[in-house]
Amino acid sequence: MQYPDTEFKEKIISSIIISAATVSSLLLLAMLIFILRESWPIWSQIGVSGFLSGSSWKPLNTPPEIGILSMIVSTMWVAGGALLIAAPLGFGCAVFLAEFSPRPLAAILRPVINMLTGIPSVVYGFLGAAVLVKFFEVKFDLASGESLFAASLILAIMVIPFIVANSEAALRSVASEYRHAGIALGVSRQYLTLRILVPLARKGMLGALVLAFGRAMGETMAVLMLAGNTLRMPGSWFDKGEPLSALIALELGSSTPGSFHYQALFAAGLVLVLMVIAVNIGINLLFNRLQKRGDDFI
Amino acid sequence: MKRRIWLSVLLCCILAFTMLAGCASNESGSDNNAATTEDYSIKIGGSSTLAPIIAQCADNFTEEFKTWNKVDASLPEEPIVIFVSTGGSGFGMKSALDGTFDFGMVSKNLKDEEKEQFADGSITQLGSDVLVIGVNSENPVAQVKPNLTTEELVSIFSGKIKNWQELDPALPDRPIVVAVRDLGGGASEVFDSAVMKGNPISDEALQIPSMGALAGKIMDNTDTIGYVSSGLVNQNPDKIIPLSVDGIAPTLENINSGAYKIGRQLLLVSKDKPNKMEQKFLDYLLSEKGLKVVEELGYVPVAH
Repeated sequence: MQYPDTEFKEKIISSIIISAATVSSLLLLAMLIFILRESWPIWSQIGVSGFLSGSSWKPLNTPPEIGILSMIVSTMWVAGGALLIAAPLGFGCAVFLAEFSPRPLAAILRPVINMLTGIPSVVYGFLGAAVLVKFFEVKFDLASGESLFAASLILAIMVIPFIVANSEAALRSVASEYRHAGIALGVSRQYLTLRILVPLARKGMLGALVLAFGRAMGETMAVLMLAGNTLRMPGSWFDKGEPLSALIALELGSSTPGSFHYQALFAAGLVLVLMVIAVNIGINLLFNRLQKRGDDFI
Repeated sequence: MKRRIWLSVLLCCILAFTMLAGCASNESGSDNNAATTEDYSIKIGGSSTLAPIIAQCADNFTEEFKTWNKVDASLPEEPIVIFVSTGGSGFGMKSALDGTFDFGMVSKNLKDEEKEQFADGSITQLGSDVLVIGVNSENPVAQVKPNLTTEELVSIFSGKIKNWQELDPALPDRPIVVAVRDLGGGASEVFDSAVMKGNPISDEALQIPSMGALAGKIMDNTDTIGYVSSGLVNQNPDKIIPLSVDGIAPTLENINSGAYKIGRQLLLVSKDKPNKMEQKFLDYLLSEKGLKVVEELGYVPVAH
C-alpha cells in the first residue's frame, strides 16, 4: 500500500503550498484595498479624471488643488527615457554574452553586471547627485543640473542588469537545433544571431524590457535626488520634474495623517501601483498573443 | 523523491513557526505597551531635525547614568534604553498619538488644533530652529545686496524675479535657482507663515528632500538661494552666506529677542503625561547639559 500513502502526503503538501500562494496573493490584494481605503475621499470628491488630468498640485491651499498629471508625465519620461538608454546597451550586452563572448570573458562580465543590481539605490542617487548634477552644471553651463534626463541616466544603469540577465536567458533558451542548422547552412555568426536567434528570443527580450520599465517607474531614491522635484509640467526630457515615487517619498513624512494631503499621496501611490500592474498585465497579454502567432514558427 | 517531500514539509513547518512566532512577539509587544511600568525603554521618533539632538542627549544620558536607579533611587535597577528614529514631524505626531513612540519629535510651530491633540499629554520646547536665507559664498549678492526685504524674498521665491540682474543691476545675468524643502513640510510651513504669507512658491523651485542636501545644493551651486537651518549655516560659515531680512541679521541676539522672525520650534510631544522615567529624561534635556547639545548642533536653545 505504498501508493495511497504517497498520495495522501502529496495532498497535504499541495494544500500547504496552495495556502502559502493564496496568502501571498491576498497580501497584494489587502495592500491595494488598504491604499484604496486611505485614498477614497480623493476619488469620491475629486474624481478619477479630475485627479489624473489636473496639473496643479497645491494640496495645502484652501480649497486644495490636487492633480497629478505632471507627475505621471514625469514618471513616464524618466522610466521611458531610462529604457531608451538601457535597451540598446542591455540587448547588445546580452547578445554579446550569449553568442559572441569567449567563455572566460563572459565568466567575468556576467557577475560584474549582476553586481550592479546589488548596489543600493541611494548610493546610485548620491553618486548621481554628486557627479552627474555637477557635471551638467559645469559642462552645459546650466543654472542647476537636476533633470529628468539625469534621473533616466542613473535609472538606466540600474535596470541594465535586469535587461541583460533576462535577455541572455531568453537567447540561451532558444533550441540548439536552430544554431546547428544555421551553422550547417554556413550562414555567418552575425546572421545567425540577429536574423534567427534574436527573433526567436524576442518574447523573452520584450519581457525583460517591460520588467525593467516597471522597476524604473517604481524606483524612488535615485529619482528623488536627481529629478529636481519641480511641480511644473515637464516639457522635455531635459526639464525638471517630479515623478510619482519622488512625490510620495518627499511629502508623506511631513503630511498630517488623515488630512486631504495625506489621502492625496495615497491616491498617487495607488496610481503608481496600478501603472506598474497594468504594465505587467499588458506584457502577459502580449505574450499570449505572440505565443499564438508564433506557434507555427517556433 | 522521499527526501524532497520531507524537505518541503520541513520548509512548511519553518514557515508556519515563523508566522506563529511573529504573532507571538506581536502579542507580547502590545502587552508591554499596555503595562508601561514593565517597559524600561523610551521610544522617540519623528523630525529628522530633532533626531540628532535627542540621539546625542540620549547617548550622554545613558552613558552618565547607565541604569535607572542611578537617575533616581526610587526607580528600578534596569539599564536605560532610549530608541531614537526619524521619519518627519508628521510621522512623529502620528506615532506619538497611536502609541508607537512615547515621544514624538516635532519641528514646527503647532497649530491650535494640533496642540489640542496633546492636551492630555505634554508638549516640551527644547529650542528653535531658525531658517536663514542663504546663498553661495561666491555669489556676489553677499557683497552687493546683503539685505533683502520681505517683498524681494517673496518675488524671488514665487518666481516673479527669475534673474539675479533683475534683483540688482550690479549682479550677474544668471538665472536664480530657488531651492526649497518639500512643500507642506515643517520648514516650508515656517517659511510660508513668516515670509510668503500664502503666496505660492514658484513651480520651478527645486524641492530638496533634506535640509542637509539643501545646504549642499547652495554650497555647490553659485546661483542658488534657499532657506537653511541656522545650524547648517553655522557649521559651514565660509560656504553659505546668510542674508539679512528687512535689515535684521539672523544673529543669536536677534533670534533670542524675537526680532528675527523666520523660525520654528523644536518640540517633544506625548499623548499621555510622561511617567517618572520619561520626566527624568525631559528634565535632562532641559538642563544645561541638554541645551548645550541643542546649541552645539547649531540650533537656538530655549531660554531658561
